[in-house]
Amino acid sequence: MTDSKYFTTTKKGEIFELKSELNNDKKEKKKEAVKKVIASMTVGKDVSALFPDVVNCMQTDNLELKKLVYLYLMNYAKSQPDMAIMAVNTFVKDCEDPNPLIRALAVRTMGCIRVDKITEYLCEPLRKCLKDEDPYVRKTAAVCVAKLYDINSALVEDQGFLDQLKDLLSDSNPMVVANAVAALSEINEASPSGQPLVEMNAQTINKLLTALNECTEWGQVFILDSLANYSPKDDREAQSICERITPRLAHANAAVVLSAVKVLMKLIEMLQSESDFVGTLTKKLAPPLVTLLSSEPEVQYVALRNINLIVQKRPDILKHEMKVFFVKYNDPIYVKLEKLDIMIRLASQANIAQVLSELKEYATEVDVDFVRKAVRAIGRCAIKVEPSAERCVSTLLDLIQTKVNYVVQEAIVVIKDIFRKYPNKYESIISTLCENLDTLDEPEARASMIWIIGEYAERIDNADELLESFLEGFHDENTQVQLQLLTAIVKLFLKRPTDTQELVQQVLSLATQDSDNPDLRDRGFIYWRLLSTDPAAAKEVVLAEKPLISEETDLLEPTLLDELICHISSLASVYHKPPTAFVEGRAAGARKSLPARSNSSEDSTQHTTQPHAQVIPAQDSLIGDLLSMDIGGPTMVTPTPAPQSGLGLDLLGGGLDGILGGTDTGSSAPVVSQSTTGLLGDIFGFNQGPTSYIAPKVNWLPAEKGKGFDIWGTFSRKNGQISMDMTFTNKAMQPMGGFAIQLNKNSFGLTPAAPLQVPSPLNPGASIDTSIILSTAGAVQRMEPLNNLQVAIKNNIDVFYFACIVPMNVYFAEDGQLDKRVFLSTWKDIPAQNEVQYTLKGIMLTADQVVQKMQQNNVFTIAKRNVEGQDMLYQSLKLTNTVWVLNELKIQPGNPDVTLSLKSRSVEVAPGIFQAYNAILHS
Amino acid sequence: MGGLLSYFRNLLGSREMRILILGLDGAGKTTILYRLQVGEVVTTIPTIGFNVEQVTYKNLKFQVWDLGGQTSIRPYWRCYYSNTDAIIYVVDSADKDRIGISKDELIYMLREEELQGAILVVLANKQDMAGCLSVAEVHQALGLDALKNRTFQIFKTSATKGEGLDQAMDWLSNALQSKK
Repeated sequence: MTDSKYFTTTKKGEIFELKSELNNDKKEKKKEAVKKVIASMTVGKDVSALFPDVVNCMQTDNLELKKLVYLYLMNYAKSQPDMAIMAVNTFVKDCEDPNPLIRALAVRTMGCIRVDKITEYLCEPLRKCLKDEDPYVRKTAAVCVAKLYDINSALVEDQGFLDQLKDLLSDSNPMVVANAVAALSEINEASPSGQPLVEMNAQTINKLLTALNECTEWGQVFILDSLANYSPKDDREAQSICERITPRLAHANAAVVLSAVKVLMKLIEMLQSESDFVGTLTKKLAPPLVTLLSSEPEVQYVALRNINLIVQKRPDILKHEMKVFFVKYNDPIYVKLEKLDIMIRLASQANIAQVLSELKEYATEVDVDFVRKAVRAIGRCAIKVEPSAERCVSTLLDLIQTKVNYVVQEAIVVIKDIFRKYPNKYESIISTLCENLDTLDEPEARASMIWIIGEYAERIDNADELLESFLEGFHDENTQVQLQLLTAIVKLFLKRPTDTQELVQQVLSLATQDSDNPDLRDRGFIYWRLLSTDPAAAKEVVLAEKPLISEETDLLEPTLLDELICHISSLASVYHKPPTAFVEGRAAGARKSLPARSNSSEDSTQHTTQPHAQVIPAQDSLIGDLLSMDIGGPTMVTPTPAPQSGLGLDLLGGGLDGILGGTDTGSSAPVVSQSTTGLLGDIFGFNQGPTSYIAPKVNWLPAEKGKGFDIWGTFSRKNGQISMDMTFTNKAMQPMGGFAIQLNKNSFGLTPAAPLQVPSPLNPGASIDTSIILSTAGAVQRMEPLNNLQVAIKNNIDVFYFACIVPMNVYFAEDGQLDKRVFLSTWKDIPAQNEVQYTLKGIMLTADQVVQKMQQNNVFTIAKRNVEGQDMLYQSLKLTNTVWVLNELKIQPGNPDVTLSLKSRSVEVAPGIFQAYNAILHS
Repeated sequence: MGGLLSYFRNLLGSREMRILILGLDGAGKTTILYRLQVGEVVTTIPTIGFNVEQVTYKNLKFQVWDLGGQTSIRPYWRCYYSNTDAIIYVVDSADKDRIGISKDELIYMLREEELQGAILVVLANKQDMAGCLSVAEVHQALGLDALKNRTFQIFKTSATKGEGLDQAMDWLSNALQSKK
């Protein structure tokens, strides 16, 4: 015997015992054994070794035993993917069992077994079950389709399950409809393209609305959620959906109510806001929301988070319901804070008195966080409701008198904002504030106080003493306080220069020499240099007029708010974050957005282009980068003033060309457009050097079609003129003559500027090159594609018609260079949906070569920067019809793929521009 | 009186006989199983997995396992070998091309230790098809001559027509009973 016997399984132990019990003839024994197996499985023991034996118990008429085996299968099929195939036949049989419970159980379990190898065998049984006579089986099968889609989406699409699922939407049983809807929404959300795979139409929506009244509460939630994803075609349809959904608002289930609210909030966007219908609908929305606040605290919290969104979107709905948001003494803290937030949002002149007395009450509570928020709320009311400001300030003063440390600190923080909002009104209270200077120990409160002292230094006699007292522990302060202290002392110095020079020097040296914090150091240096170079300028900078502060704080960004409104009654609306931010693997999904009021076709395109990320960073950061680039490295280090900063900008931009070319040509505009190589060409006398890209000639009219007349042609741009260059060949037996050309109306108004000059006759076998100058002053008619051009050429034989594509680059005008600022503001102004992204493949050029090549074709590089090893080029171009196109190129050294993002108000030009880029960069 | 006693013993005391029906895919295993169980020809689809049915033949109870014959499933036959009393090996007599594979599978299977005591019945099925191999030819092709220490018999059958199955089952019942 070999030693292999040591490796064979021992015929002892628990697994072996179970195995023999599973193979027992007695049904009862078998069942007991399977129960033991499941028990072991549940407590986490690995009983996967029993897979074949358990599967062998599967074919039984005992429902209990079958359920147990199914449970085992769901758990272990994944770990035994090959063996799982042995269960297939049983599933197939069970799906034809006379007992509908077994059929449904089988189809449900099938969906839970995530083994690729067996999914294809399960299609047939699933197909049968989708048409089962029993609604319970159909319902289960519908859910199974969604599960199968998750495992193998291609299979589901190929097998036509989506259509079958869609058919189930018109099922006679509302529960089946609800589950089919749930499955479809799940599939739509998971669709890789982000586009819904199954579109709802008015008919199916109608069926859903009918089923809505009859199905269970959770079924109603499913139906309402999918209604929320539907965009009605006009406001009449929207209105009728609203009418049929409104009764759901009275449902006892909070989820049904919130889902109905979501649908209504979405559809209301489409309706005329002034109409009576919207008015009554708005009134109807309030009571159900109020009712939600009488449920248990957890539900209240969810309701409040959703109400918070609703209030931001449509304050009208709850404007008369302020009282329900008043905090009860026994509310949990999370409910209290949320209510407070909504109270501030709802505060208006009408209810401010009530609100203020409530808030004052809250400020005396015991919970510190809540009190702080209440105090802050008073300040926000003062800023939001102007007529109440005075009362708010006096309330705050009362609170300061209490001398409760954290109340005082919060009050000071908000009073700072009130000062900013209402200048020269409440400064009389500064003295009261100063009394509390010593008790301030939080950075934000200290910083606020210091700001107040600095800002009103001229009214506070001992401002210098006060600030000096802060200065003693400068290094122990929080950065926020340090920065504020620095600014405040500089302000003080500018206001009272005579006696504070020592102080300012002290703080500047503390900030610049003894600090590790780069922000602080930089600010210190800037002030220092400002003060030493030009105190008047410093005064203008430091004591400049401050922009007004906004009334509403903590508002969500409108696009985010709209997206969240579409996610009411989900986790997203509780987190106030889009689902993509916290659900993994859903990044590809389409972002939801509210429907637009007008329902033109443009809206649908808008929805599809939405997900494009904005490639250009925010304005501030770009300006910062441009500035730092312009000034250049050395000027940053040496403290010498930089008079050459303006020059530096020119040196790096197109200025070099200007200097070189200035002597050659008089006007500056065309010079910028020409490249250095072009100029060299001029110098050396190669006047006809090919500066811009010319596409190779293509055969526009083959001889077979032109009765022997053969035309090859292309377009080029020379000296600001578009030229159509053609080669005529006579392949007929007779001479040709009498040539003439005509262009049909086209997108850019191309028209011949001069008649066609061809010496006739053109003898058989001969060919001739001819060019015709075109102007863009002709009649304009949009073509498809945009740069399509229909040409008619006549000779003595016939008139020939053909269409050709005009390369977009011949329309690139010479004066297409934008100023940096203009480029930035234009980029920001053009909405994000007008941004299109392409990938240019196989570009073996460096950024500089790209700049040069594009410049030869009137595409001007406005800025270039390097971000994480990638070169970013910002380029502008102008088409002859004054359409501006702004481009961003992302070039990674060593990667032949270049990303082109372009923005234009006329986004139709994008494909043509991309082709032009592609052609030029590959030339 | 003694006959009656043995009758009762058979009825009450005897355990179910465990029989496996094996063979290549499409040999007719599932059809034979249901022919034995319900006496009718049922429409079948390829068995991906197994069927198990109780078959009563002449007061003998059999637990008959019909295992799928596809290549992907054959490796799992071995999971069913233990405690097997008899094997019904079904051969498609008309499938001349794959009879070699069928032989290999049979030999491979019979080598298993767990099956050393099992009785073997070979069914040369589909005898109704024109141009099929005769029993002797199947016997020859499977190399049954070389079998030693094995109770076995070969029968010609046609599952769809129901021919030959009774003889086979008669022989099998007797063989199983005499084995005890």
